[in-house]
Amino acid sequence: MDEEILTDTLLRQYLLRKVDHEERQRIEKLFMTDSLARDRVLAAEQELIEDYLEDSLTTEDKEIFLSHYARTPEQQRKLRINKSIKHWAVKEAQATPISSSIWSRFLEPLRSRSAYLVPIAVAILIAIVIAYVWLNRRMEYWAIQKEVAQLNTPASLSQNLPQMASLWLRPVTARSGEAQNQITKQSDIRIVELFLLTIQKERYPIYHAVVQRVGEKELIVTADVEARSDNTIHFRLPVHILTNGSYRIRINGIATDGSTGPAEEYTFSVD
Amino acid sequence: MARDSVIPPESFDEILAWLNHDRDLAASIYLQIHADLTRIFTFNNCSDPEGLTDEAFDRLAKKIHELRQDYEGDPRLYLYGIARNLIKEELKKVKNQVSLDDFEPAAKTVDETEQETAEMRDDCLHSCLKKLGAEKRKLILSYYAKEKQAKIDHRARLAMQLGTNVETLRVRVYRIRAALEECVERCIDRKAKRK
Repeated sequence: MDEEILTDTLLRQYLLRKVDHEERQRIEKLFMTDSLARDRVLAAEQELIEDYLEDSLTTEDKEIFLSHYARTPEQQRKLRINKSIKHWAVKEAQATPISSSIWSRFLEPLRSRSAYLVPIAVAILIAIVIAYVWLNRRMEYWAIQKEVAQLNTPASLSQNLPQMASLWLRPVTARSGEAQNQITKQSDIRIVELFLLTIQKERYPIYHAVVQRVGEKELIVTADVEARSDNTIHFRLPVHILTNGSYRIRINGIATDGSTGPAEEYTFSVD
Repeated sequence: MARDSVIPPESFDEILAWLNHDRDLAASIYLQIHADLTRIFTFNNCSDPEGLTDEAFDRLAKKIHELRQDYEGDPRLYLYGIARNLIKEELKKVKNQVSLDDFEPAAKTVDETEQETAEMRDDCLHSCLKKLGAEKRKLILSYYAKEKQAKIDHRARLAMQLGTNVETLRVRVYRIRAALEECVERCIDRKAKRK
């Protein structure tokens, strides 16, 4: 069969009697001798019937269609059966969405509303970027948590580490006000060891420390540190997590029964 | 309207022998040509496609003896030649016979006869759909699920999912639908006879 010749358009023109005599004969000879050509003509006829049932034909084509394909009782029955098949399929598809991939199902309603596709795609892209940034920050946070926890284990706290600076801090009270101690960042200092004086009478085996920038809600790091017998809590921080600005450390004693003691706050600044 | 064939049995045997030496195969070729000619007459807007097809075979029967000795071409094309002559004669007889005022629009006709067979048709369709098999039923359902503009993209995607092109898919669906249609027609006829 000459596939080039039997186009959909040509077949439709043939079915609507819009081709000349020679073309008609050529198509009909193919129809008689080539089973694939026959199937294509009949499939095209089927498409034409479908368009008629959907009322998609032009007025002229509809008139031609009716004069050819809706004339005899057999043809009319054929149309009725076709109508029933279509009606069943559409109804069935509405009741049970056709199985496809989750993505296809998700995208299906969007395809018919292509105008929304670009803004939706942009929104999805933004959501992905935000999720990526958030995930990155969470991973960074957990890496800092791990590093600080390792620095503040009893074994680590008992060692004098190189490139370490010390800073004594008193708790902030109404009387002492917000007097700040300052750390100056230097290239040879990697760790700062804070000696947090506690003035509470109650002693706890463990203290939970929370580090934040002053005026911000976001936590920089939290850690549990063991208490010492000299009314101080030793708390080590890596310098790279501290940028210029003011910081607040809040500590709460954790009792053996899990209850939390009153908080004490310390502040310091970095430049 | 189809009419009783006047082909004598010996001529009919000769026609079958001319179509193929295997009688069973010849019979299926005969039926296929019969169906194809009926379609050709329909495509040419002839008033009685079945009757004209029978007439084409009657004319063939009259010449079959000589043809078996002389004709060397494709029997289908010979029959098509007869069909073309019949179409010409038909056109001469009933020039502009079909006017748009002579028939009812199909939609109206559907409504008018719906009462008689709507229930039958639905029953038959469901019964034939069951016989069709799950895979074919699913394909028909998917193919016809969308209408108008939406169906174009939908069918292109469906063809892609099935690893084929739209034309092949169309033919595949046509074959299934034709079998389904035939099954429904037979079922309606059976039910109508019982009534």
